Amino acid sequence: MNPHDRWFDAVARNLIRHAATRAPPALSERLGEEWLADLAARTGVLSQLRFALGCCWATNVIAHEFGAPVRAAAAAAGSKTAVVHDAGSEPTFSRRTTVILLVVGFHVLVICVLAAAIVAPKGLKPSPPPRIDVSFLARPAPPVPPTPVDLTLANIRVIDVAPPEGPPVPPERTDTIQGQVTEAPPVRPNGPPLPKTVNRVLGGPGAGFPNTDDFYPQASIRLREMGIATVSVCVDSAGRLNGKPTIDHSSGIARLDEGALKLAKAGSGYYRPTTEDGRPVSACYPFRVKFQLRD
Amino acid sequence: MSFQTLKVLEAFLENPGDELSGADVHKRSCVASGTLYPILLRLESAGWFVSRWEAIDPAKVGRPRRRLYRLTRSGLAHASGVFASFGRGIPA
Repeated sequence: MNPHDRWFDAVARNLIRHAATRAPPALSERLGEEWLADLAARTGVLSQLRFALGCCWATNVIAHEFGAPVRAAAAAAGSKTAVVHDAGSEPTFSRRTTVILLVVGFHVLVICVLAAAIVAPKGLKPSPPPRIDVSFLARPAPPVPPTPVDLTLANIRVIDVAPPEGPPVPPERTDTIQGQVTEAPPVRPNGPPLPKTVNRVLGGPGAGFPNTDDFYPQASIRLREMGIATVSVCVDSAGRLNGKPTIDHSSGIARLDEGALKLAKAGSGYYRPTTEDGRPVSACYPFRVKFQLRD
Repeated sequence: MSFQTLKVLEAFLENPGDELSGADVHKRSCVASGTLYPILLRLESAGWFVSRWEAIDPAKVGRPRRRLYRLTRSGLAHASGVFASFGRGIPA
């Protein structure tokens, strides 16, 4: 027998001895010897432990059923094995009833805990389904087919929309100034070089962008928190984030800002890249995430 | 009469003359020890069983003596009557 088995065997024996001492005195010695003998017939530590625990339970039942009458009868007859069944001393609950009550009680407890966690705080109406609106400070303009360069100064225009508030977001490394010429300008035969018109269309969420409803914080729904967070993202030409999104303008509620940042991160790979003359480029731009609950 | 009590009685009715220890009854009936021993004591107190210590020398045999239970004549009659009232034995 290895040390573990020996330890379990000792535990089982001690449990049985303890159970036997709690039995009615007239039966205590008999039950202890009987149970230890039957324990020896069991193989396997788990079986032995189960048996010993069962004996503990049996002691309760036996003490309840045979306690006082057995003591009285044994004292009168001087017999250790005299057993008198007193039909009037039935336990309050049978073993089955006790187990059922325990199981039902446990389930009620679990349901109460779950209900307390789910139910909205007092004084608040049940939360309607959340609605999240994502809007962009700079709406992408419809793509314009490239037009021949007009070299007259009056026709030079820059198609680029910067956010209305805050400093303009600098474009990626290849850009110099938003909307300005990024390649060698054409040279007029008799004058200074003129900047070329660049048709720049800011990007935004594209096909497959995550479901925005999933990012409304549950706590904010319960507390009916609403607001608009402006998030700045830098997106490469493949529509992936190439930097961490940041909050440009807070909604005033940290939870909503966090939800907006999570939405921006989850959308990596699903952004529509900014285009210049129809060619995708890396660029940074802000967009707004509006958290609003229906009434 | 509970289902477990019927299982215990059925274990004895396999061969009514057998003397069975608690471990033997458990093997035949699969009733757990927490239920089995109160039933054995209950039936013994009702006169359906008698019990005695196994007549062995534990030192020679190398194991403790067991408590053996046997159906009494009246216990056999009662148990047979119970199962006859069902018309058949209880399923294993």
